[in-house]
Amino acid sequence: MSDASVYADPSSGAIQVDSVLDAMVESMIVIDEHGTIERVNKVTGDMFGYRPDELVGQSIGILMVGADKARHGNYLNRYKETGIRRIIGIGREVQAQRKDGSSFPAHIAVGEVGAGNTRRFVGLIRDLTEQRQSEEEALRQREEMVNVSRLSMMGEMAAAMAHELNQPLTAIANYAAASIRLLEQGTADSLADVRDALQEIKDQAHRAGDVIQRTRSFTKSADGTRTVTRIHEVAALIRSLATLDTKANNIQLKWEIPADLPPVVVDSVQIQQIILNLVRNAVDAMEDIPADRRQISVTAKLTAPHEIRLEVSDRGTGVSEAAAANIFNAFYTTKSAGMGMGLAICRTIARAHGGQLGFRNNEPEEGGATFFFTLPTQVNN
Amino acid sequence: MPSNPAKVFVVDDDQAVRNSLRLLFKTVNIDAVTFESGDAFLHEYDSDWHGCILLDIRMPGTSGLEVQKMLRERGNTLPVIFITGHGDVPMAVEAMQLGAFDFVQKPFRDQELVDRVAQALSQNEQQQDSLLHQRQVQACYAELTPREKEVMQCVVKGQANKVIAMDLDVSQRTVEIHRARVMEKMQARSLADLVRMSLVLNE
Repeated sequence: MSDASVYADPSSGAIQVDSVLDAMVESMIVIDEHGTIERVNKVTGDMFGYRPDELVGQSIGILMVGADKARHGNYLNRYKETGIRRIIGIGREVQAQRKDGSSFPAHIAVGEVGAGNTRRFVGLIRDLTEQRQSEEEALRQREEMVNVSRLSMMGEMAAAMAHELNQPLTAIANYAAASIRLLEQGTADSLADVRDALQEIKDQAHRAGDVIQRTRSFTKSADGTRTVTRIHEVAALIRSLATLDTKANNIQLKWEIPADLPPVVVDSVQIQQIILNLVRNAVDAMEDIPADRRQISVTAKLTAPHEIRLEVSDRGTGVSEAAAANIFNAFYTTKSAGMGMGLAICRTIARAHGGQLGFRNNEPEEGGATFFFTLPTQVNN
Repeated sequence: MPSNPAKVFVVDDDQAVRNSLRLLFKTVNIDAVTFESGDAFLHEYDSDWHGCILLDIRMPGTSGLEVQKMLRERGNTLPVIFITGHGDVPMAVEAMQLGAFDFVQKPFRDQELVDRVAQALSQNEQQQDSLLHQRQVQACYAELTPREKEVMQCVVKGQANKVIAMDLDVSQRTVEIHRARVMEKMQARSLADLVRMSLVLNE
């Protein structure tokens, strides 16, 4: 393209270049090889808060904030000297600056026109403010989603623990009441029953104590801070909830998480959210499988020097090709009563921990699918 | 009846709860039979049982509510008392709407539990008694001749012998004989007794 076509005289040519440029929705800036602005379109003025004629003759640097301003000059010089492109033909994101000093995120793509003394650079600038806002909004919603599911799981845990605690308490109350009645009746053989009842009361009190012990370690990790812990301890706390689901569906649950895996730094409740979610998906996946073949195994192992992988494997119907493409997307679901949130939440959590969430279909002879997530282990310095 | 004494049938998945209930009922001379799951109970269930059912609402496998529904389908007449935990009230309400006798919350107050169970047992006993009575009345009625049945229908409507004789086109004396036979065969002590029996027959 020759210099002349860029500066075509509106009155002479068939192409009204000015009106074409002004109709563009992106900002277009032409600078010479020193970085001096020669030409801008209408959008540029609106985007940066200048009148177009105010910009002509200025250095391109006035449209950028400090760091990018200096860097931009360097890019041009470097390119002139070395021919190495830092921005030209590549495009990058910068902080752009308006006339009033405020800044906004922008994407800039630079093309080169002509050569030697007539060399010009054409920049196309897009305001990324809205895109950033929607990205931030999406992130915020995702965090909210994680939080809501966290709260609902903690509510469930609390209810399950209350239920578990209620059993020994009920037995204790019954044994004590029976003992009082037996003593009041005061027959000789009733004393043996009283003795047995007291033994049971003692055992049931210890059983209640164990539940409370677990409740304590659960509430300790409930505030959302990441702590150094071991994956088998984190998983153990969710096991009773998982067992409720598998028992109710006549599923055999295998739980093999070695205690000697290296420690991880995690938000325990969030990791429990992933495990419970994967187990529940596995339960749902085996709805149509004969009861004697229903099995879920939860396992963990070291898969790389600094990576633990936890797997939840079922013997269900597996993941269809159609589902595989969308399975981690929010609001995608194959369940009649599903929200399509579970795996999207799990992936958000796994990534926030520097890990990954994935799946594979099992070998045909086993059937079903295996979902897994990875966690980086804590590296001692 | 003695061949089939009243019992409380306890269905709860927790062994300690089952054992403690059995002991508690033993102290008040109530026989308890325990089951560890809804399925185990339904497998053994016999419609000839007397007593009441104490059913945990929240169990793995077949839930208490499901057991109740299946019992209904099998024409169960035993009163069902649900055992509920903290926060199971909505389920308990549903159970009551489906005809449960009562519900008790874990952990139980022993006297409260024993009282409810005693009430349920006595309700079942009355029901069993009236069922027995109904069967006896039906057996007696089956012994009547067609003519005696006709006379009985007229008598319990309060018709005088004279009117019955005219209606059936027989002598008043014949009616008197039939009437005496009806009272004898039905083992009725009075006219009022006979009227009550006719009501039982129409149930």
